[in-house]
Amino acid sequence: MKVDVVLFAHLATFQPDGKGGRHSRAFDLAEGTIIAEVVEMIGLPDEPRVVFVNSRHAPEDQELFEGDRLAIFPPVAGG
Amino acid sequence: MRDIVRVNMATGAITREPLPDGWARYGGRALTSALVFKEVPADSDPLGPDNKLVFAPGLLGGTSAPNGGRLSVGAKSPLTGGLKEANVGGQAAHALAKQGIAALVIEGKPADAAARYLLVLEADGAMKLERMDAWAGLGNYATADAIKETRPADDRYATITNGPAGEMLLKAAAIAVSDPKMYPNRFAGRGGLGAVMGSKGLKAIVVSDKGLPYVEHADKDAFNAAVKKFANALTTHAVSGQALPTYGTNVLANIINEAGGYPTRNFSAGQFEGVENISGETMREMTLERGGNVKHGCHTGCVIQCSRYWYDKDGHYKTKGMEYENVWSLGADCGIDDLDAIGDLDREVSDLGLDAIEMGATLAVYMDSGKIAFGDGAAALAAIKEIWTGTELGKTLGQGAEVTGKAFGVKNIPVVKHQALPAYDPRPIQGIGVTYATSTQGADHTAGYSITANVLAVGGSVDPLKPEGQAALSQGLQIATGMLDAFGLCIFVAFPVLDMPEAFEAIFELAEAHTGLKWDADALMQVGKETLTYERLFNEHAGFTNADDRLPKYFYEEKLPPHNVVFTVTDEELDSVHDFVPAVAASLGIK
Ligand code: SF4
Repeated sequence: MKVDVVLFAHLATFQPDGKGGRHSRAFDLAEGTIIAEVVEMIGLPDEPRVVFVNSRHAPEDQELFEGDRLAIFPPVAGG
Repeated sequence: MRDIVRVNMATGAITREPLPDGWARYGGRALTSALVFKEVPADSDPLGPDNKLVFAPGLLGGTSAPNGGRLSVGAKSPLTGGLKEANVGGQAAHALAKQGIAALVIEGKPADAAARYLLVLEADGAMKLERMDAWAGLGNYATADAIKETRPADDRYATITNGPAGEMLLKAAAIAVSDPKMYPNRFAGRGGLGAVMGSKGLKAIVVSDKGLPYVEHADKDAFNAAVKKFANALTTHAVSGQALPTYGTNVLANIINEAGGYPTRNFSAGQFEGVENISGETMREMTLERGGNVKHGCHTGCVIQCSRYWYDKDGHYKTKGMEYENVWSLGADCGIDDLDAIGDLDREVSDLGLDAIEMGATLAVYMDSGKIAFGDGAAALAAIKEIWTGTELGKTLGQGAEVTGKAFGVKNIPVVKHQALPAYDPRPIQGIGVTYATSTQGADHTAGYSITANVLAVGGSVDPLKPEGQAALSQGLQIATGMLDAFGLCIFVAFPVLDMPEAFEAIFELAEAHTGLKWDADALMQVGKETLTYERLFNEHAGFTNADDRLPKYFYEEKLPPHNVVFTVTDEELDSVHDFVPAVAASLGIK
């Protein structure tokens, strides 16, 4: 199944194609893949992060489905 | 020594008196709000002689406390009609505090409406008003240059200036404060306080702190230890230690957009297709390419350093690096996805002396009327430029979103208590809707920044699409913010303070070591509650009721894409946010 993966701020450098940038990449994943497995596949550092699936917060044990958009941020804030 | 300095604009008299005894724990917003509550009749004309414009550094102003140099500006607001506190960085708070000034109160009104005054506060305590009528109509940048010519070359000073918008008494007028490089680019933005300054004939204030030492502490060693502890927390937390210094506040654009709460084209959608072009990440890359600065403090002693400078294509300073709010208001809310166009608009509203949040929202409302197209940056800039000459359009826009929306027959006008909503839609982020609705300040995100637990996973977590827990969250944050504003601490210290107990402890340790008074967590929160109580009671006296603590109706009725939700926090819950006010008022002996 295809899932769009998009990484923000300094996490953008972890995209596996090494190209940086924040446009989403279509990942080809096995059915039943959970968020934590994608995080491991990309090799994100073991740091706090904020995860959205289809614009809603998602726990990392959540299963992904065809056409989902997975967006991952480092902790950010501002005003 | 903490004094009140009073400047009477009718007589020209300047006097100095000690701070009243009961106010030893007050600085910043606690002081501006207490003073306005006590001395300004709630039914007075905001632009008349009875209103007072109060400048107060926080309790930690003039010290080395990290991020402790914010300035509170207070008055009855011409925009909201209620008690207003606008909070600003820049160098003025430290300079006033080092001169021993706890509050600078501008009173009365000159008989001659054409008079323009410069108030000079010298480092040696000399104070004078000078007539500078030739400065009438100057932008903030030209005024800063004119001030420089009046000062000795080796001086060190801060400026507080008013642009043409304030002189024209426009309700969106803001007051500018100079940053460490003397650019007049920090703003006490909200509520039209520039118009109050304009009504008093006060064009500018210069505050010299040349050769002045830090303010002394009751216990120097304990203070220094608390400074270390606080600075360590601020630089360790991922948000204040990494994200903010690297990307600035505009790092939020992508995450708020992802959450579906990034108001686009006058709050008609929650996601902007052009967000990547204007995001904090893109802004950093462009700024670095152009040789702009991407990290500095807006005042001495800031260890977070979210400020930056925006350079044009030719590598010249244009304006301060636009904050998240400015990029949103002058960008996404107007459908503009070009950082250069946004930078040009930001420079213009800064030079005119206008609140960028109000002006962006106003332009978006104007675009919604169909007079100019969403996304047309050049037309937006041309419209703003009309404010310089005070054309009918210029004067209408300068009165803000509500006046403009009504003038052009726009259906959806995003205001609470007549003040425009900032850069978070309250439908998919319900917690910020509670703050917008109930804040004493009109729609104001900084009054109780519920984005923390709603979107950013800072200080806990609540479901942003649901009403549960939002009123209590906003109440706690509104009280804590009143406290931070009283100390002169930048609101961005709240991110580590919410997550790290030692950061919170460091605040009362700083307070205790500095003042010699006993402080603890309860005493801190008491100052926040008392601040809100003065504001709430003043607003009641000015005629506000619970019915004013509501969002515009369409937020309850029109679903916002992509989540297709409306605002669902009940009126009862909104009315619970200020439930502590009667008891605190009784303890203060006020009603
Ligand atoms: S963090 Fe930003 S707003 Fe706060 S004091 Fe520092 S530069 Fe100013």
